[in-house]
Amino acid sequence: MQAYGWLIDEKLCIECRACESACKMWNQVETGVGVRRRQVRVYTMGVFPQVRQQSLTGACNHCENAWCMKVCPVKAIWRREEDGVVLIDQDKCVGCQQCAMFCPYGAPQFNLRTRKMDKCTMCFDRLEQGLDPACVTLCPTGALKYGPWDEIRGKGSETTENFAPPRQTRPKIRFVKDPFPVKG
Amino acid sequence: MALTRRDWLKTTGAGLAGAPAALGAFEDYFQRASGAPAGMTRIVTACGICSPACGIQAWVQDGKLRFLEGLPGDVSGGGHLCGKGAAGAMQLYDPDRLKYPMKRTNPRKGLHEDPGWVRISWQEALDEIAFRMKQTIDTYGTEALLFVTLPSPDLWARFMNAMGVVNRVDHRDECFQTDMIIQKYTTGAKTWCNDFENSKYILLFGWDILAKAKLAYATGIVKARENGAKVVHFSPNYTATSRFANEWITIKPGTDLAVALAMIQVILSENLYNREFVDNYTNFGKYETEIRTHFAQYTPEWAEQISGVKADVIRRIAREFASNGPAIAPAHKKSLCANYMNSTQLVHAISILNILAGTIDRPGGRYFPRMHSIPGVDAIYPPPAYPPKKGRRVDGRDKLPLVNEVDAGIFSTLADGMLNKYPGMIKFSFWNAYTILGFPSPLKMVEALKTVDFTVVMDFLPTDTVTLADIVLPSAMYLEGNDAVARDYIAKYPQTVARKAVSAPIFEAKSIAYVAIELGKRLCPDYFKTPDGSWINPSTLLDEKVRRAGLGENFADFAAKGLVEKPQPFVPRTTFVSVAGADGKCQIYVPQFVAKGADPLPKWIPKRDQPNEHYPYYYMTFIPAVHRRNTTENNSILHEMFPTNAAIINPALAKKHGIAEGQKVLVRSRAGQIELPAHLSETVPPDVVMVAHGFGHVSRALSLAGGVGARDGDLIPDASIDDFVAAGNYGGSSCIMDAVCSIEPL
Repeated sequence: MQAYGWLIDEKLCIECRACESACKMWNQVETGVGVRRRQVRVYTMGVFPQVRQQSLTGACNHCENAWCMKVCPVKAIWRREEDGVVLIDQDKCVGCQQCAMFCPYGAPQFNLRTRKMDKCTMCFDRLEQGLDPACVTLCPTGALKYGPWDEIRGKGSETTENFAPPRQTRPKIRFVKDPFPVKG
Repeated sequence: MALTRRDWLKTTGAGLAGAPAALGAFEDYFQRASGAPAGMTRIVTACGICSPACGIQAWVQDGKLRFLEGLPGDVSGGGHLCGKGAAGAMQLYDPDRLKYPMKRTNPRKGLHEDPGWVRISWQEALDEIAFRMKQTIDTYGTEALLFVTLPSPDLWARFMNAMGVVNRVDHRDECFQTDMIIQKYTTGAKTWCNDFENSKYILLFGWDILAKAKLAYATGIVKARENGAKVVHFSPNYTATSRFANEWITIKPGTDLAVALAMIQVILSENLYNREFVDNYTNFGKYETEIRTHFAQYTPEWAEQISGVKADVIRRIAREFASNGPAIAPAHKKSLCANYMNSTQLVHAISILNILAGTIDRPGGRYFPRMHSIPGVDAIYPPPAYPPKKGRRVDGRDKLPLVNEVDAGIFSTLADGMLNKYPGMIKFSFWNAYTILGFPSPLKMVEALKTVDFTVVMDFLPTDTVTLADIVLPSAMYLEGNDAVARDYIAKYPQTVARKAVSAPIFEAKSIAYVAIELGKRLCPDYFKTPDGSWINPSTLLDEKVRRAGLGENFADFAAKGLVEKPQPFVPRTTFVSVAGADGKCQIYVPQFVAKGADPLPKWIPKRDQPNEHYPYYYMTFIPAVHRRNTTENNSILHEMFPTNAAIINPALAKKHGIAEGQKVLVRSRAGQIELPAHLSETVPPDVVMVAHGFGHVSRALSLAGGVGARDGDLIPDASIDDFVAAGNYGGSSCIMDAVCSIEPL
């Protein structure tokens, strides 16, 4: 299995949210039904003027040990053999939201219209055509990348601030924490 | 729609393409994948949400726009788009779009009146507009016409010129007008090209330049940081740009001018300026005594009293800026230039900082764009002489001669002019793509508009302005038209992209160029004929523009190429052609200003409104990164990301007034009041109330944005032209952030 994962360089995110728009557009995710498969979340820390923010783009991390899949009572969540992408079978899903309760990353979301769960597919249809996921294609600064998990897992840190501890679910995501170069 | 594997197989037949391309070294792998998504065709076009016009490749499937992405090789967006640009299809397919010309049946006008629209034909609409215009001119003269539109495209400008329109106003007083004026007199023609990538020191005054996601700028600054540049951000509040900067320095709102003046003082008194550039390419030598004497008063200690920025910090930043070049201090937009009564002086001071750093048209500095020269309609079909423009300026612009020279107009004095200075003068108005939300005191603008006998509004969405129209014209939008776009935001060498329609205009939407020609045929036919006597045809005109600019044999040929560029080495200028008498040099001291009632050197003047016992807090507004002012709030994707606004206050301020997160508050200023929920955030200082601009559309025909949020402009006082003259605001900056307010829980 050739699995894929995300690589995020927080310092490069300019909060333009191209990743969010791209995801919505490519996957034709209906608006206004409570589903944002990819979402930029901004966290504020400290007290003015000792204040700091972190912006973190988040989607499904297609965990190696996907709790959503484990807890699904109707086995609607499955993993593709060929690329490790975790998907929700819309025909099987009963919308009980159990997966959402167990996912530490807010990936499965309840679609208010279909009354079923929905989440990031890593644009597997694009991967199959040799294209990058839509969010990665649009990201203007390279803050969001993806690649073969065997290569990503050796990069950066396995966690960052405001990211749920990865031990249990083993999400396929790494964070580049190197700061910008210091001026000599 | 969530795709399961089963769906996918159903729609495509099979997952035929194998695993992604061969894997090389890790970094190689991150080279962008190329090739077309299956079953889609590619159209090259240009974004039209904001001005840099990033190149786009649009993917169309079964005749429907499916996906927008960046155009590889395009310098403007760097081959990418931002969140707004990527959601452009939602503008195109917005179900609320205006579809047909319509006529009002309800004679009462008001934001909450039902206009009683009836559908009419284009023919009928144009005939009526032409009749009303002619009748107005015959009875009252051309000064009774008001055009609230940009002077583009060129066919539209020709129409207005041919009709002798005196009163044309646009939003540039809220945007780059002051920058245009100052650049013209200090360094030459207007430009907004900044060579961030090669800069080593980037000084940002109060401008959330990164999050505004003009990618041409944002990606340049990212590259600069990767190249080891230092970024310093003066801003009262903490923003995405502050996070990105090496240093964020909080400053009292509206006092950037004091810091800039003190920086000049330090650089001059310590002789840190770029001697080679200043001696050879500026008028410093000629006016050295005046310049040194003038700035000597603005010490960092003086600036500290006003701005709250420590004197030693100002001194250090000034020294760093002057000694660690190439350095740049960009100026351009709303967040900086137009906000305060003293913004013209601030732009002059920033221009001087760039001149002293020696980076005007130098690597790492502010440079002049190198572009394809695309001729306008007047060059291709020379018009008969235009009639002289006679009559009074309703916005009083003629009292500010420098603003007159750049042929803009002033939004903030328009309502006062229509209601108080020249009541009843305007009988006919034509609005294109502007909403009343863009004005300070928008309700006053509504009252002013009610005094106009006949109003035409052309737009692509049913905005609040549309509600006040007598005739509505449905406008095509950027994805529905053809054009050659020579982008001037980052034009180090000429690079022009073909804007090709990805869709025919929906229903009966038409372009403003069409309206120009059709009204021209009816009102000023001599200006809309070609030498052989036929009517000007926009497609033929575009073919001719493309041919003369050397972009292709015709537009179809150019569009097939998509992007045409002419790489050339960057040769820095040695003469700076600004205005008569400038001797081809950059002007620090501007002698021509004296005759025009302006100061030859920037001097300190305070912002308009200061906190006081009734209104103790600064009022600040901002445009969210995911919106384009007043136009994208109804875009379903962007609406979902940022649906409404709030009064953003510091938790300390909230505690003082007993305000909880999400609680409704009343925010008041001398101009008006708004009610909205509070949002507590440590990113704003404790003496500031901050509200996002672009919300508070009243029009219920906007199904997402209508009735949502509060109008930030209700708290911003408009102005009279006399206020501007008295304050020395000779660049006419519109003070759209220059307000103070109170806040209380409801």
